[in-house]
Amino acid sequence: MKEWQLIKDTAYEYNADIGLSYSSPARGVWNIVHIGTLVPESHQIFVCPTSCLRGVVLTTAEMGAMDQMSTITVGEDNILEGNMEEELHEGTRKILDSLPVKPRMVMIFTSCIHHFLAVNYQRVYRLLRQEYPDIDFVDCYMDPIMRRTAPPDPTLRRQIYRVIGKADHDPSAVNFIGNEFTMTENCDLWLHLQQNNITVRDITACDTYDEFLRTAEGSVNFTFHNAAAKAGRDMELRLQQKWIAMRPSYDYDVIDADMRSASEAAGIPAPSKQEITENRKKTEEAVKKALAVIGDTPVSVDHTAVDRPLEFALFLLEHGFQVESVYIDVFTEDKNIFERLQAEKPDLKICPSLNWNIRRAERGHEGKILAVGQKAAYFNDTDYFVNIIESEDMYGYAGIRRMMERMIRACEKPQNMRDLIQIKGWGCQC
Amino acid sequence: MGNWHTHVFTSTYTADVSGVCSALYELGGMTVLHDPSGCNSTYTTHDEPRWYDSDSLMFISGLDEMTAVLGDDSVIIRDVVRAAKDLKPRFITLCGASIPHIIAFDYRGVARLIEKETGIPVLPVATDGLKSYVSGAGLAMKEWIRRFAERKAEKIPGRINLLGVTPVDFSRQENADAMKKVFTDAGYSVRVFAMGETFENLQEAYQAECNVVVSSAGRNPAQYMYKTGKIPFVEGVPCGEQMAERILQAVKTGTNQYVCDDYDPEGKILVIGEEIFAKSLASVLKGKPLYPDIDEGLDEDLLLQEMEKAEMIIADPLFRYGRRGNAVFIPFPHEGYSGRLFRKDIPVFAGKEFDIERYIREKK
Repeated sequence: MKEWQLIKDTAYEYNADIGLSYSSPARGVWNIVHIGTLVPESHQIFVCPTSCLRGVVLTTAEMGAMDQMSTITVGEDNILEGNMEEELHEGTRKILDSLPVKPRMVMIFTSCIHHFLAVNYQRVYRLLRQEYPDIDFVDCYMDPIMRRTAPPDPTLRRQIYRVIGKADHDPSAVNFIGNEFTMTENCDLWLHLQQNNITVRDITACDTYDEFLRTAEGSVNFTFHNAAAKAGRDMELRLQQKWIAMRPSYDYDVIDADMRSASEAAGIPAPSKQEITENRKKTEEAVKKALAVIGDTPVSVDHTAVDRPLEFALFLLEHGFQVESVYIDVFTEDKNIFERLQAEKPDLKICPSLNWNIRRAERGHEGKILAVGQKAAYFNDTDYFVNIIESEDMYGYAGIRRMMERMIRACEKPQNMRDLIQIKGWGCQC
Repeated sequence: MGNWHTHVFTSTYTADVSGVCSALYELGGMTVLHDPSGCNSTYTTHDEPRWYDSDSLMFISGLDEMTAVLGDDSVIIRDVVRAAKDLKPRFITLCGASIPHIIAFDYRGVARLIEKETGIPVLPVATDGLKSYVSGAGLAMKEWIRRFAERKAEKIPGRINLLGVTPVDFSRQENADAMKKVFTDAGYSVRVFAMGETFENLQEAYQAECNVVVSSAGRNPAQYMYKTGKIPFVEGVPCGEQMAERILQAVKTGTNQYVCDDYDPEGKILVIGEEIFAKSLASVLKGKPLYPDIDEGLDEDLLLQEMEKAEMIIADPLFRYGRRGNAVFIPFPHEGYSGRLFRKDIPVFAGKEFDIERYIREKK
């Protein structure tokens, strides 16, 4: 079976996330431990069989954060005796009574096996809340068996905000929800809110749990990633905080439209025509500058680097870059983006990143290639790569300009790809 | 005694599924972990130093909720057949984690169906994700031997097998080579299960006059070969000259031998690690070994008590977390515990040249 296909031969319903899966050595994408550790003064308890515990424990160890997690191993005895609830209850109590400092929040991760054995963990949490009233307990899930309907990552991004209660909303404060990276000057919205004296709260920038709890005061919640949508929707329903999903788009008109919606929700003026014109001009200049450096060097993009890899590829192609391939396992972007890309570059290679047939693909590229993302770098075996995940802190015009700078740097200066991509949870500074 | 399930401070040993993959990694097969997700990336990230530089076939089935609820085995059969027809592995291994276990997945039956459709031998290794790597590696090696080793092969004088050699316990090929050298220097020809060895060489397993079990993962295949081929086994790791000599002497007896000393329960040097390694090192140091149970791992309460009583602890650096007492801590990384975290610090501890006293002096 061929490892890739041309986009002109590819159906919009393309899905490489079926069949046997391969795990490439690119490890930068965050897992649930990285996300959970964003909550200050928190502790994570994983309740799973050994095979599931191993990955999360060593993720934590590699972060140097072993003091922020504990484990309760599910054994054969629990399955046979049906005492999962008692084990969870007693284990959690033992952990909390042994920790030198009581955490403010405890995330308890149950696993696939708990679903199948119909464990009544909510009852255990109710008891724990009575016994430890100063601690917020949150039910979290490491249950990849549910990945088709409720994948663990977006579910956790929702759950960590479940401790946020109702409060009076401060019209001069908003929240960025579900981010992994602190967005500041590379994000149009942050810049615009700063100009209008609006305070932005973001879990990635919180040093204390009390600071995190002030998320309740925000008048609007902004999300920038699909994986954060569950959190945004949940908080809108529960807390009546307005939710605005900022689309991670490379289409100038979409950026402008979203900025208008965001401004309206925050009660501030939208960016003026002059600001938009200026922004577009500066961005086009940045793109031209990048093109002058990168020139005809082929470019490869992957889905772990940016939220909208097809749209990003289309943006680059329309600006004269030689995009050659996109590593992606399923199309989640609008069909019109896909069709425009088909028309713009019919011979664009669409490559899976986790399907079994990529394991024995010949890694490498004839001549220099610039990769955007770790998987593109790995499969093309190139040291010229932009080492980012999940668009990092970039949004809007400022984000595009930052991306151009990073592409220039990546094209000019090779990095040690082999070592860098194997670091788990890239950029996680917890 | 505490509750073995709960670990407040310490890590966990790797699981049976990683043991299966590690044991069979170099033999040209395709291993399929029947599991939703995670086990494969955990294994290839933390437990498999050969992953980046080789193209061995390790995959996960991606079991999802509906497939599990419906018990629809046709999904994994179809997926494995499709991949196998394309990749043409020499054999296929089927193992899995806790969900296949609780839905009573029929490893043997599914293996037969895949084999029938592809014509490729399929090894069913019924792991459950609940046990340590020792169980998985042992089951995998035993199953491989059962299926592929030439049982009626004539014994060759001076031939031995080293059983239980995987990177989970020995990390570096240099360790496997150093162990091999102990025996080749003494005039033996050696087959190593299974690092740096070929499929064909290992098919000659029953030519051996003795099996040397160098990690507890080697016990299961050793007992199987004793039962089926009357091949005696000797347990011990040749970690330094003293243990190497003991093992060489034991091999000559032609009987089952456990060369490690009975330990002193009051020993003040605590060696924590894989059972045969810990016992071997403790024998040299007159210390006390502490090792994980296959089902229950290490009871953390017991572990902390023992660490508090010790004057010196030789263990993986991750055991530093939660440690009480004032014992001198000598870091001795173990891939099966801390994964890749301290991989570059794992010494060549096998072979006559290794001197534990010198190692301790250097690490103090």
